[in-house]
Amino acid sequence: MSFRKRNVGLSTGADRSAAVSSQSAPIEPSPGIRPSPDDGRPTTSTGAPSLDNLLAGHAGLPMGKTILIEENGTTDFAGALLRYYAAEGVVQEQKIHVVGVPEQWGRSLPGLIGTAESLEEKRSDRRKDEKMKIAWRYERLGEFGAGVAGSRDPPSQITAAGGESEAKPAFCHAFDLTKRLTHAGISNMSFIPLVPSKDSPFAAILNELRGALLSSPANTIHRIVMPTLLNPTLYPPSASQPEHVLQFFHSLKALMSAYPTRVTAMITIPLSLFPRSSGLIRWIELLCDGVIELCPFPHSADTVATSGAATSVEEPPQGMLKTHKLPVLHERGGGSDQNVGQDWAFTLSRRRFEIKPFSLPPAEGDTEAQDAAAPGGMPKKSDLEF
Amino acid sequence: MPSQPPLPPLLTPYLSDQPESSLTVISSVLGATSNWLVLRYLHASLSNTANSNISPESDGSIGSTSRRVVLVSFMRSWDFWKTEAKRLGLDLARLRDKRQFVFVDGLSELFTPPASASSSTVPIGSATHATLPLRNRPTPVPGRGPLAAGSLDRSAPNRPVQGDASNSVKLHFRGRGITALDAIEKDIISELDRQRASSDENEELLLIIDQLDLLLAATGPGLGIGATEMADWVMGLQQHAHATVLTIAADSPLIHNAATNVHGDRTPIETEHAALALGLAHRARTVMQLRMLETGAARDVSGVLRISRGGGWNGEAKHSLDEKELLYYIQRDGGLRVFGRGES
Repeated sequence: MSFRKRNVGLSTGADRSAAVSSQSAPIEPSPGIRPSPDDGRPTTSTGAPSLDNLLAGHAGLPMGKTILIEENGTTDFAGALLRYYAAEGVVQEQKIHVVGVPEQWGRSLPGLIGTAESLEEKRSDRRKDEKMKIAWRYERLGEFGAGVAGSRDPPSQITAAGGESEAKPAFCHAFDLTKRLTHAGISNMSFIPLVPSKDSPFAAILNELRGALLSSPANTIHRIVMPTLLNPTLYPPSASQPEHVLQFFHSLKALMSAYPTRVTAMITIPLSLFPRSSGLIRWIELLCDGVIELCPFPHSADTVATSGAATSVEEPPQGMLKTHKLPVLHERGGGSDQNVGQDWAFTLSRRRFEIKPFSLPPAEGDTEAQDAAAPGGMPKKSDLEF
Repeated sequence: MPSQPPLPPLLTPYLSDQPESSLTVISSVLGATSNWLVLRYLHASLSNTANSNISPESDGSIGSTSRRVVLVSFMRSWDFWKTEAKRLGLDLARLRDKRQFVFVDGLSELFTPPASASSSTVPIGSATHATLPLRNRPTPVPGRGPLAAGSLDRSAPNRPVQGDASNSVKLHFRGRGITALDAIEKDIISELDRQRASSDENEELLLIIDQLDLLLAATGPGLGIGATEMADWVMGLQQHAHATVLTIAADSPLIHNAATNVHGDRTPIETEHAALALGLAHRARTVMQLRMLETGAARDVSGVLRISRGGGWNGEAKHSLDEKELLYYIQRDGGLRVFGRGES
């Protein structure tokens, strides 16, 4: 509804002031926030468009929600997602709080190469058809940005668009992992170290976060980033005591519900150290709003995958992605989303983290095996007919 | 407007009929949460008087025993329950003003002191240092101190969203062991007693505790709380209510890891949780078990609801209880469909 109004107000020259005044009330003044197409709650981007699209029809991470990324093995795909998430926050000039890692982490954020839709347009030039149905919203947003650039004279409209730079209306940006982010907002990140204490190591973190939220102006959007939670090289052994870590998650949930429109959080956890079959991890999952598990293929798999996994234009998938819990949807009862229960594969390339439905490739090299098996084990079709 | 009735006919007898001092346990798993069922309990108990002119003359309204409800929630905020109940056409805020419904907040300040008290002690600047290196000397600290203090004054509109929820009781866990549990119990009981004192004698008081197992998981034997203490705690609360409904997590890591023949480590969190869950199921009159489809996700099924008699079922003839296994589906608009296997 609001979307249509905005489009009318920007594309047509007539009756602009009325349209703008009516639309400016519901739209959040903060950049990088847009209402969910599902139920209108404010959402923000995770920095990876395909992850945004996975989140139960909200096309973004709803504000006030925590998402937990779990990863098997020793790879760091979850870390890449986390960097996209932090970089997106920097570009949207949100306040980033990074917990537990030194400041070098902030310098390794991927570099900005444009908006997500500009990258998508470049890609879709190659295969231009209605296959991009899932991204129709981005397309329209692209038009919206162009409209601002074309007719920029009325000042009321500029305020409605959120600012003067053309990157402002963009909801999600594209980043290049091989480059480094250079942005003024990067010095605005705060790093919360783990201070050793005989009590819960999380108490200081919570105090810090609560203080930052309380002392910042009411339109500041915050992102909480926690890389490799409970990793023994960062966290003291006492951190994995249930009474410490679960109380922390509970208090974090309380903090999120106290500021339901201003905070999001993304947390990664290494599953090889803390398997999902343990009660502690299950409680952490129950306390988070979204749970996504990454299962990277073993490294030998990419030779197999190149044989037939995908067509030559697409990269072979690097692992499986499982959605165990999605924000809002599962809180309500769950199960009615088309994305739930699908098998997903992810591909991390230099410029994007892509999540696609997983399909087993046709086994190309397996014909000999089938032929060999046929005379012995499998009866021929003629044998079966009467 | 949900196209389905808020209470599916198949579920109505289970939702509206709790005999004296009965315990109902709802078990949930990660992908099949119990909130929708709790909301249906709220609706079944509160809607008769709330909008009696709208609701059709169903069999539930014949007895006309209106109810009062105390909802204790450890995992979800007042805002969540309020907005989700509104989708069912139940105005919890109005019911709370009429003292027919009481919300006890076990989320916002359970383990953390209230924001106003903590803000004066927050050591801003002690550990916040921006990306600039070599800046974590103590020099910025005195500069930030008055700034933080000044910010408290103008941060009045910046307070956490609690104006609406401020008149609900907030639970606090302080200290350790049974004394901490007792303090929480006393807070809840005082709410229950206040509800009972203001109600007529034909009004039944229903106590719903959402995910009380969190209290056990987040404290555990390290803080002197085990399954026995929690079970006693529930028992103490049950005495003050007409009937009790509990929700508890029953994920397989939490229940099955406790068995001795499972290889791998058993941690106290698993053994205590399993002991609590099984103990409650043995005491319960009804067990409502929510789980996902074993055969994988389906487009039009959210999960499986199994209704069975618990160990506390004493074969009463007046209240019959059929054991059933049903499928349910939560629609996008919040509507609920409940149906048997093979039906649609």
